[in-house]
Amino acid sequence: MLTQYLFVFAQVHDEFRIPELQSVAEIYGFDIKLPDNPEDRKTARPFMVLGLESEEHAKLLARRCVLIKYVCEFYARGRTYEELHQQNRIRAPQWQKYADDTSFKFLVTAFNHTIPQWRQRDVVESFAYMDFQGKIDMKNPEITLACFEEYRDKHGTTRPKDEGDGEFEEVWFGRLIETGSARPLVKKFDVKKRAYYGNTSMEAEMSLLMANQTLAAPGKLVYDPFAGTGSMAYTTAHFGALFFGSDIDGRQMRGKVKPPGIIRAAAQYGVANGIMDLLTFDVTQNPWRCGELFDAIVTDPPYGVRAGAKRLGRKNARPPTEEAPRVHVPRPDDQPYIPPTRPYELSELARDLVLLARYMLRPRGRLVFFLPTVTEEYKEVDIEAMLCGGMEVVANSLQDFGSWGRRLITIRKTTDKKFPPPTFDPAHAVTENVGSHVPAHKDFREKYFQGFKKGDIGGSDSEQQ
Amino acid sequence: MVRLITHNILACHAKGCTTNNFPLQFQDVSIELREAEFNADFLRGFLPRLEWAALVSAARQLGDTSLPEQQPEMLDDEFLQKLHHVLLEIHVEEGAMVCPNCKHVYPISNGIPNMLLAEHEIG
Repeated sequence: MLTQYLFVFAQVHDEFRIPELQSVAEIYGFDIKLPDNPEDRKTARPFMVLGLESEEHAKLLARRCVLIKYVCEFYARGRTYEELHQQNRIRAPQWQKYADDTSFKFLVTAFNHTIPQWRQRDVVESFAYMDFQGKIDMKNPEITLACFEEYRDKHGTTRPKDEGDGEFEEVWFGRLIETGSARPLVKKFDVKKRAYYGNTSMEAEMSLLMANQTLAAPGKLVYDPFAGTGSMAYTTAHFGALFFGSDIDGRQMRGKVKPPGIIRAAAQYGVANGIMDLLTFDVTQNPWRCGELFDAIVTDPPYGVRAGAKRLGRKNARPPTEEAPRVHVPRPDDQPYIPPTRPYELSELARDLVLLARYMLRPRGRLVFFLPTVTEEYKEVDIEAMLCGGMEVVANSLQDFGSWGRRLITIRKTTDKKFPPPTFDPAHAVTENVGSHVPAHKDFREKYFQGFKKGDIGGSDSEQQ
Repeated sequence: MVRLITHNILACHAKGCTTNNFPLQFQDVSIELREAEFNADFLRGFLPRLEWAALVSAARQLGDTSLPEQQPEMLDDEFLQKLHHVLLEIHVEEGAMVCPNCKHVYPISNGIPNMLLAEHEIG
């Protein structure tokens, strides 16, 4: 039998809400029943009633989902208090057990509004028919009854205090089970307070959402092939995973003082031991001995605006007719040899990443990565076109910045077939699904700097040779 | 850093170096021992991915002889504790790893190995 639970969410990153719930449910191995009515599934509102098998599951969600503010046992909702009370009376069997001698308090609050004190009292008194005989205890009550009024967004208008009080869209009522305890992690992992970060570090909230998409848990191996300043290391390690990071530019991982920057920041969060190893190499020329090593690959690939992706090689490759390669000149010890690099075009990189993941992930492992796209040009086929057999999209959540946005793509490996390592050769760039489709994220860098104007994108061809 | 678990999953990847390119040999290393959290399930799960002989020889190169030549069939707690120590608690901080085949030297500095290839070594 499923019980209904009222979830109150932070009204941010709404497209990430349901994927996060489902990922956390998958970590702990239980199911979530979404509302039947599509209206009630809309994430533009902070309230949602979900069906779960047990209160324990509700608590697990509240302790791991970054976007959850409160979880309540759901009693009633209504357009008016009359409707609410009517439904609440019908639900009496659920709350009657607390009526005799359970200490309690009321929490009366609103979304997009502040309810004046005097009316909060009125609201509490309107529940008098529940006839709770227990002690009222504002500090340590055994149960908290929560009543939320939901108002329309009045953002951007000036108005007198308390105007429109009581003119809510809907009101919700339940017994508070747990306050979301993962949400404070957003503060804990605040980049500004981190011992080591760079100009491309991922913001804390998003790196937590990404970590949840990887299903990070104790004993899981997680790999970031564009580790940079290690944003993904801290949150995945916080959830118990063991983190491997690599980057073509070791300076990003090290910083200027010893020990390496990522290790310093990890130590600050008490997860230095969760960093398995950091390695300097180009993922297109990687030294991994075999496939199926990792439970998740998570990355925010550089897409060329603040930092561009690079791979080994030269921009304008010399003709292959050249004689035997010259052995590079030995350098003094403090000047390590730095091989030349060339740009790595985004759509090429994204497609390679999926192939790499299919090779490197264990069955049912996940690839989680950000893909910037041009809002107007984006089509679903952009994502389908980079898939290959045995890889399936689990979630695709947009973080909207207006004319562009970035999509957090979660892909699951659905096969236990073995695959060869990817060639990373643009000449083999034939996608299995959608032949020669040109995705909106192709040449994203050029489009970004041209302000996403329509028309020809010049200057990109020469870079890809 | 550069734990033996990492060493065990790295092979030389220089162009054309496809045989006898594993395991990389340690050279002039300095090591540190650091305690790590024991997780028996993780060790059992990772065992099938390990190259046992390479792990044993790498551990011996670093002066740890606690592992048997042959991978035991019984994964008792005593064995898993030893495996845990060798895989996760020995950190190579400085030195290099050298390919037994092409002799490419991968330097390790500050615990981070530089696995980048030179221009003439990429495919």
